[in-house]
Amino acid sequence: MNEEKEVEEQSKPLVLEKLEANHADTLLAQDESRGTVVVVVRKEQAYAVLEYLKTDPELAYTYLVDVTAVDNSQMESELIQFDYARFMVIYQLYSYQGQCRVRVKVPVHENDLSISSVTGLWRAANWLERETYDMFGIHFEGHPDLRRILMPDDFEGHPLRKDYPLQGRGERERFNFDKQNV
Amino acid sequence: MGLDFGPDTGTDGNIITTTIDKVVNWGRKNSLWPMPFGTACCAIEMMATLASKFDLSRFGSEAIRFSPRQSDLLIVSGRISIKMMPVLKRIYDQMPDPKWVISMGACASCGGVFDTYTLIQGVDQFIPVDVYIPGCPPRPEDLIDAVLQVQQKIASGASPKGVEAIL
Ligand code: SF4
Repeated sequence: MNEEKEVEEQSKPLVLEKLEANHADTLLAQDESRGTVVVVVRKEQAYAVLEYLKTDPELAYTYLVDVTAVDNSQMESELIQFDYARFMVIYQLYSYQGQCRVRVKVPVHENDLSISSVTGLWRAANWLERETYDMFGIHFEGHPDLRRILMPDDFEGHPLRKDYPLQGRGERERFNFDKQNV
Repeated sequence: MGLDFGPDTGTDGNIITTTIDKVVNWGRKNSLWPMPFGTACCAIEMMATLASKFDLSRFGSEAIRFSPRQSDLLIVSGRISIKMMPVLKRIYDQMPDPKWVISMGACASCGGVFDTYTLIQGVDQFIPVDVYIPGCPPRPEDLIDAVLQVQQKIASGASPKGVEAIL
């Protein structure tokens, strides 16, 4: 029994150990999913945690793989767990040095959709954050150019939100095909 | 080609008569210059059709042009979103007459399984389509068949859908 426990402790990922040591107050939850460490952090400290993950010489999560979001409005279990935050902004990071991944999730409430942009840390975040803004309406504060990227500029609404009808709200019929700059 | 051998002039049938339209159509039919508009998976099949294994050049259509101004056959292969439709329309408008359009695959023809907020449910709402190809994706043989149908249409002297729409 003891031996097993030891093995478990030894295999605790470095990133979790270091986050617990340095950012324990901001960790809301931690999990493991198919070999990837998943941490949920408070929105206010999310930038600091991401900066730490990138710049710490032992962790060196220098590669921002993806920024996206999830609308949990129909996921009762998630809502209850994170103080009824409707959205979860998700950062996928990869460390070439440690050859491992980490997923950072940040709960965002519907009444305050702003969150710090990480374009200052990874330039790759530029378009990823624009996509997340386009699809979910999350506002990334400090983003140099937060415009829609997939939908047309005059599109209204954020189509990946769960309350957006699949067939749209008549955009297909209303779309002005003559006035577009092509 | 609608050829008739001329009256017996003693030249061993070396004189043939036809009409100028038939000669022109014969030339058009055998040298279609396609403009590929590949926006999704169907385009992969289109590329296969053009490559050596299926070899569309056997039917005189190997001169793919990426400038609409040099082509007379538009192959729409893939999903067209509302944001892309003005581009497609512009490209169609830039092609010189006479021009033909093939709508390849379920998505281009009717939206396919993507009955969503952003997808055009059939490009024929905006541009005239001459030949539709069913399938998801259609096999290269289907595209070759469509090109042959366009050829038949040209040979028969029928107007392209785009001209019919104006007349
Ligand atoms: S019809 Fe099928 S293969 Fe063609 S673009 Fe649509 S989904 Fe892709």
